[in-house]
Amino acid sequence: MKIDIERISEGEESIRIRYKDRTPAITRILEILENDGTKLWGKWEDETVCVSCGDILYLESVDDKVFACTADKTLKIDASLTAFLLETADESFFRCSKSMVINVGRVVSLKSLSSNRIDATLENGEHIIISRRYAVEFRRLLKGER
Amino acid sequence: MKKKEHVTLWERYLTREIGIEFKACLYFFAILFFYCVYRMIGGSFEASILHMTEMIFTCYIIGYIQVYVFANCDEADHLGVREIAGIITCTGLYLLVSYLGSWFSREMLPTLLFALYLLLTYFCVVLIYRTKRRIDDKQLNEELRLFQTQHKKSE
Repeated sequence: MKIDIERISEGEESIRIRYKDRTPAITRILEILENDGTKLWGKWEDETVCVSCGDILYLESVDDKVFACTADKTLKIDASLTAFLLETADESFFRCSKSMVINVGRVVSLKSLSSNRIDATLENGEHIIISRRYAVEFRRLLKGER
Repeated sequence: MKKKEHVTLWERYLTREIGIEFKACLYFFAILFFYCVYRMIGGSFEASILHMTEMIFTCYIIGYIQVYVFANCDEADHLGVREIAGIITCTGLYLLVSYLGSWFSREMLPTLLFALYLLLTYFCVVLIYRTKRRIDDKQLNEELRLFQTQHKKSE
């Protein structure tokens, strides 16, 4: 694919895409351009799929790989948890441990545990423990003090 | 500049130390109450400063054992084998010190009653923490609903 990049000093910025067949790569580029920042791309069963950030229950980092879990899919994404948090800039996503980020909007219930930890039950019934280190910040988030 | 949000290692250590301090005070007062009752029943209205010093130091040391060895057994979510073992071991240690320090003149009956009293105290503490957590659960879930509602509105 030939790529032409032209820097302009005046006039409106624009992107023109010329294609013969709408391949997955083209579709992805279009999705990225049309994306309002609430979509996430990842690999699932050898396919590149896109999910809405709101559908994500949690993200987990395992052996330097990051997985985003929705109710029915587990996507492998090409970003670190920190990068994801910076990019989405959505308060609903909270880092609950070194290797995990939860979507507070998809939490069904919370349970206070000993040693100031919190057990968060997600919509799919999974339990995520918010460690003591992050629980203080989590309480602040819920109170709107963050 | 962005305010540092994470709890530092020093703050975590301090929180744990305050927790131990609180435990020491709690158990010290409970033991002191039993000791005072024992003294009053025996016809004495005086308490030994040496005994009280032994009590507070014992409470501190056992507080550390409870937190670092038995994973805060009196604050546990469930009373499992480890927690019960912790409570029994700590009660045993209190009994040993009380016997060696002659808090109850090394008499068997008061020492036995002291053991039962300590077990009851531990049971009450477990219940108190459990109740506290239940109240905290309600508050947390209320705040969660509020957060979710507010977040949906702002979307």
